[in-house]
Amino acid sequence: MKKVKTGSVISHTYLILLTFVSVFPLVWILISSVKGKGELTGNPTAFWPRTWTLDYYIHVIKDLNFFVNIKNSVIISLVTTLIAITVASLAAYGIVRFFKKLGSAMSKVLVTTYIFPPILLAIPYSVIMGKMGLINTRVGLIIVYLSFSVPYAVWLLTGFFRTVPVEIEEAARIDGANKMQTFVQVVLPLVAPGVVATAIYTFINTWNEFLYALILMNNTSKMTVAVALRSLDGAEILDWGDMMAASALVVLPSVIFFCLIQNKIAGGMADGAVKS
Amino acid sequence: MAKKNYTRWLFVLPAMVIVIALFIYPICSSVLYSFTNKNLIKATYKFIGFKNYVEVFKDSGFWLSFFHSLKWTVLSLAGQIVVGFTAAMALKRIEVGKGVYKTLLIIPWAFPSIVIAFSWKWILNGVYGFLPNILLKLGICETTPQFLTSGTMAFITLVMINIWFGAPMIMVNVLSALETVPRDQYEAAQIDGARPWQSFYYVTVPHIKMVVGLLVVLRTVWIFNNFDLIYLITGGGPAGSTQTIPLYAYNMGWSTKLIGRSSAVTVLLFIFLMIICGIYFAVINKWEREESK
Amino acid sequence: MKKRYTSLVLAAAVSAAVLAGCGGSKPQTAAPAQTSGQDSTQGVADAGELSGEITFWHSFTQGPRLETLQKAADKFMTENPEVKINIETFSWNDFYTKWTTGLASGNVPDMSTALPAQVAEMINVDALTPINDLIDDIGRDKFAEAAIAEGSMDGNNYSIPLYRHAHVMWIRKDLLEENGLEVPATWDELYETAKTLTKDGVYGLSFPCGTNDFQATFFLDFYVRSGGGSLLTEDLKADLTSDLAIEGINYWVKVYNDCSPKDSINFDVLDQATLYYQGKTAFDFNSGFQISGVAANSPDLLQYVDCYPIPKISAGDETEGIMTTNTPMVVWKASKHPEICKAFMKTLYDEDTYVEFLHATPVGMLPAIKGIADTESYKDDETIQQFTHAEEVLTAAADIGTAFGYEHGPNVQAGIMQNNHVVEEMFQDIITNGTDVETAAKTAEDKLNALFETAE
Repeated sequence: MKKVKTGSVISHTYLILLTFVSVFPLVWILISSVKGKGELTGNPTAFWPRTWTLDYYIHVIKDLNFFVNIKNSVIISLVTTLIAITVASLAAYGIVRFFKKLGSAMSKVLVTTYIFPPILLAIPYSVIMGKMGLINTRVGLIIVYLSFSVPYAVWLLTGFFRTVPVEIEEAARIDGANKMQTFVQVVLPLVAPGVVATAIYTFINTWNEFLYALILMNNTSKMTVAVALRSLDGAEILDWGDMMAASALVVLPSVIFFCLIQNKIAGGMADGAVKS
Repeated sequence: MAKKNYTRWLFVLPAMVIVIALFIYPICSSVLYSFTNKNLIKATYKFIGFKNYVEVFKDSGFWLSFFHSLKWTVLSLAGQIVVGFTAAMALKRIEVGKGVYKTLLIIPWAFPSIVIAFSWKWILNGVYGFLPNILLKLGICETTPQFLTSGTMAFITLVMINIWFGAPMIMVNVLSALETVPRDQYEAAQIDGARPWQSFYYVTVPHIKMVVGLLVVLRTVWIFNNFDLIYLITGGGPAGSTQTIPLYAYNMGWSTKLIGRSSAVTVLLFIFLMIICGIYFAVINKWEREESK
Repeated sequence: MKKRYTSLVLAAAVSAAVLAGCGGSKPQTAAPAQTSGQDSTQGVADAGELSGEITFWHSFTQGPRLETLQKAADKFMTENPEVKINIETFSWNDFYTKWTTGLASGNVPDMSTALPAQVAEMINVDALTPINDLIDDIGRDKFAEAAIAEGSMDGNNYSIPLYRHAHVMWIRKDLLEENGLEVPATWDELYETAKTLTKDGVYGLSFPCGTNDFQATFFLDFYVRSGGGSLLTEDLKADLTSDLAIEGINYWVKVYNDCSPKDSINFDVLDQATLYYQGKTAFDFNSGFQISGVAANSPDLLQYVDCYPIPKISAGDETEGIMTTNTPMVVWKASKHPEICKAFMKTLYDEDTYVEFLHATPVGMLPAIKGIADTESYKDDETIQQFTHAEEVLTAAADIGTAFGYEHGPNVQAGIMQNNHVVEEMFQDIITNGTDVETAAKTAEDKLNALFETAE
């Protein structure tokens, strides 16, 4: 009994320490974003703001139009996720169920594409998008984002589809359902948690993507949050208050989202991985 | 039979079309450019054989970057696994507050790289940063520590930031893998008189090595290819001490505009990653075969 | 189900094609005649009605300059209803990535601002359209000859200066007075003064050598040119190993060690200037933009801000011309509507618009055309009245300086030296790895010369 206790005391101490390190940057962003003018640079070690202000937020939202960038990111990430997940679910199911031999070759090809250094793809993509007139458009960025979302999603999803026992499907088939009906009505509901987990991964990856967005988007009003945030750094006035307020606007929704769905992502990937 | 063959392709076709359409051109053009003297802003170029590859191999900067990349990947990955693993074990052990810890511990994972860069650059800023100034104030350091600007510390700091960012993902996955270990196996091991490390080695490890193995593959590729974090935090400096291969390729492509040589670098990077992943997968396949025995 | 995916993919492809088609092929149909901006189109485009869409890239990412340019564009669009001007902005740093990638992918704007040294690179790869007619139209004699020459090759003028500024030494009068110090006139005096002032959370002089900017290249250039030297030889090879350059490198390393925050090794221009804006440095080298920066960040300090000429090696030396920036605008060769670009550019020099634009950063932007500085409307600005001394110093410096690396005339090498961060890497190498100055300088020089060769 005593042993268990020291064990859990050590565990708690360790976890508290880790939690502190994990959370500190978020806390510091939030605190810095509401400190009064001059406090950020004037008194770097003060923790609590002496005066509170929302000026930085107002400036970022009103003058720099940051919500437009958030909207761009949401649209681009959502559409990419939607396309990637539908395409990838079909493919993953197809690979698992109908391609016993070819399937592993297909998976290998997909994994190989994941290995491609984005930096290698950046220039060719900018050339293609330029030729198609898709530079500076959401459509262009979504197409490019599919390049990493689809392979990754297929790879994760094959793991989940493997968990579905073929007998269930056979029962459905006997009842007269065709392949697509079986897939939509029987298989998909079974792997729903895995699909959700994969969708979340895809969404986060696209939301956070930086390099392609930097190269393909020109107009401030078309930029995604990642690039718009960075352009604050190169702007004419370096204002850490603005940067912190904008950071808070970007990171807070993600954090809340993450905390809400944490159990789903937790289970998701391990289940898929274990069984693949 | 013919009908069956036809419909099954419909499932995989959209994905295949997307992947082929999105990769065939970049691959071909990169390989092609790597044999030319293509300049980013010039339209004409000519074939120069393997000269780019020779030049790259001759450049000490390339080898230094390659070495940095290896160091960056190995240290970050090891750190992420150690921290993620121990955190998961600690979480498994406690009974109170598990949910709260878990929620707070995954926060770094939600950070986009640009926000990671902003927040840490701000915290570690040598003039206005909280951490350097508090260390100075408390008398722990005599001069403001240069976390991101000294040749010796910048690299370590970056690795730490990467561990901070990546450990939660390992933690979450290891934790849920741990949950799959049947309790009775631990009990059985305990009855057999196994010490804690023995039950860890004989009961826990076999159950989670698949998950960890796959995570290692994913993370290796991600960390090795990672461009944003380093580019946004140190830009490869100071004095190239944090320059990895992706940054080297970027500078080759955009600063010096030698797209041909930059392509050669990325092709080499890709081949290297293929080999590494091949080895990983061979190991994982072996585990799989052992398991199914 | 599957039909939907196919159609999604199809939709993407179709919209791609449609968008590609829209790229720039807006029909040039005759527009209804009703324009009040006749004089702005005269000479440049005598065809009458202007119609079409142009994209204008500039680097004034926020604040009053962005607003005045937008206002000018709006006005132009009202006067020419068939014209659409799309303004896209990004920082100077990103701008370089953007236009170089843009040339590779066929996505450059119709017109843009630029950095002077990059104009030579643009001309070199045949990316620009000559605008001799626009300059003649506005009045060739209104511009400084040197400013036009910077963007010229083989009798063609490819750039037009929008405004000009010069790099000078900025000081804090209060800090000097409190410590009973004089404004330094030589580099040695500057070092001593800066060292004395490095205390109480203030740094004497920050030396920025981040590799995402070209500040250290500039700082070294100030030193070398003040002694009558150059970082480029007569035949346009890099020269970092001259006695003067080695002396300069040693000087700045000394300043970094004794007067500068250690983080400045990664500083870009903004980090550097922000220190001065916040009152954390006593000296800085920059243009008249410092004034609006201080005004925005620390209004209390504004009264203590002033500027003086860049120091000399010894007090008796002749005054050498150093760095003048004529911020240019260019028209890209790929543009389908150069006539619109030129007509619009011309309106920017209308007195009212132009003065309003200059007033967006008073004293920071000096007029590029003669006569404006004497007008009542130009003088009608508080900051310009308050900083008459600064404006005199800046104007004097601007009159005798050249763009970076153009002391032997316009060349591509200057742009390469400025944008490849070789000098910054050299300084970082010396500071971080303790590399011997002469060895590091030789390595950097060789590297630059190799880069020069690849550009030919």
